[in-house]
Amino acid sequence: MCNACGNPAAPGHWTEAGAASAGDRLRARFHRAALLQSVLRPYGLTAHDGGVVPGIQIGTLTGAQAIVHNLEEVWAEVERLAGQAVDPLDPRYLGDD
Amino acid sequence: MTDTRLRLVILGGYLGSGKTTWLRHQLHVGAFGLRVHVVVNEAAEVPVDDALLAGADGMTLLSGGCCCCAGRDEMIDALRRLCDLRSRKSAVEVRLERIVLETSGLADPGAIVAAIQADPVLVNHIVVDETIVAVDALHALAQLATEPLGRRQVEAADRLVLTKTDACDPAALACLRATLAVLNGHATVSAAVLGEDVALPPLPEDARPAALIALAEEDGRGPITPTQVAIPEGMDWSAFTLWLSALLHARGNDLVRVKGVVRTPAGRLLLQTVRKVVQSPEILPEQGDMRRDDVIVFIGRGYRPEDLGRSLRRFLGLPAAAPSAMALEGSP
Repeated sequence: MCNACGNPAAPGHWTEAGAASAGDRLRARFHRAALLQSVLRPYGLTAHDGGVVPGIQIGTLTGAQAIVHNLEEVWAEVERLAGQAVDPLDPRYLGDD
Repeated sequence: MTDTRLRLVILGGYLGSGKTTWLRHQLHVGAFGLRVHVVVNEAAEVPVDDALLAGADGMTLLSGGCCCCAGRDEMIDALRRLCDLRSRKSAVEVRLERIVLETSGLADPGAIVAAIQADPVLVNHIVVDETIVAVDALHALAQLATEPLGRRQVEAADRLVLTKTDACDPAALACLRATLAVLNGHATVSAAVLGEDVALPPLPEDARPAALIALAEEDGRGPITPTQVAIPEGMDWSAFTLWLSALLHARGNDLVRVKGVVRTPAGRLLLQTVRKVVQSPEILPEQGDMRRDDVIVFIGRGYRPEDLGRSLRRFLGLPAAAPSAMALEGSP
């Protein structure tokens, strides 16, 4: 943990498991940000992870921004910004409606 | 890098289910190793048992109320103190390796796991190894029928220990085992009499689970059912974590438990959650039972079981192929 900023507060979020080396971790972050970006676009949100600053940046098309630390926080922030939770079991998402 | 964090075993179970009896014998035979510290939480004040102390390296008694709610701060303090004492020794010295936390009969093990994961100190020092829940073979059926807490305890378990099986009618025992399999299909079940392990007879073919009526607290979301979802071959782990974390955020209160082994580039990962809390995944050795790899069990309610597999395939951008999820009827 960094003495000055207290990051990271916990040893690795579970979603970051599976990447052993520093290079793998960075690659996984870029890949994850690209996937997240495509998932959030229909909700009018953007996701960005430059790989330098810790955390993922979530933004709205009107310019509101938030930095979150892990995927768990991403979905809570997305719910706040979009006004609804992203629910993978939503009938609209599944194409049942 | 090996994980040098303290291992924590949570021992739960309803009031009078035989937790202390079982633990005392297990410590006596050294089931938890030599360097183990026992933390006992009693909702009521009781004299400390010398026999219990004999098998353990040390013992802490928490008597300030149930450690999943009123006594949570006291539990966190006690665990922090243990971590602190351990951190003063170097890793090559003989030092504490394991903590066994015996909860009060009113505690929800899931809430304790959540409290530890939320504490910034403990999350760096403690990894929850196993949740063991003692189940009273004589009274559990009645408790499960009426007590939401009894059900939550069973649902949170990795291992169920049936106690007092010697005094129990075989037909009732078979019914109880079938009921436990419905509530928590992935936990291993063993039996013990006065703490000593006894072999369970094979489950009779005609064993039927007791009908569990929905309790008031559970409202109308239907019964909890286990669903198996097969992981598509060569699945993208990053996409999977996105999907699962979104699912847990949206449906965490309905998904009681998620457990499975997923193959990733880094190896076989054991993934498990209790409600919204995901325990840090453990990398499993390559050997062992590979047949259960790439199957994830979701235990929950409030959704159609087949939707889980469909949603995952859609998220991964795969065609909605053969039904990849099936509801397990009764005996998973």
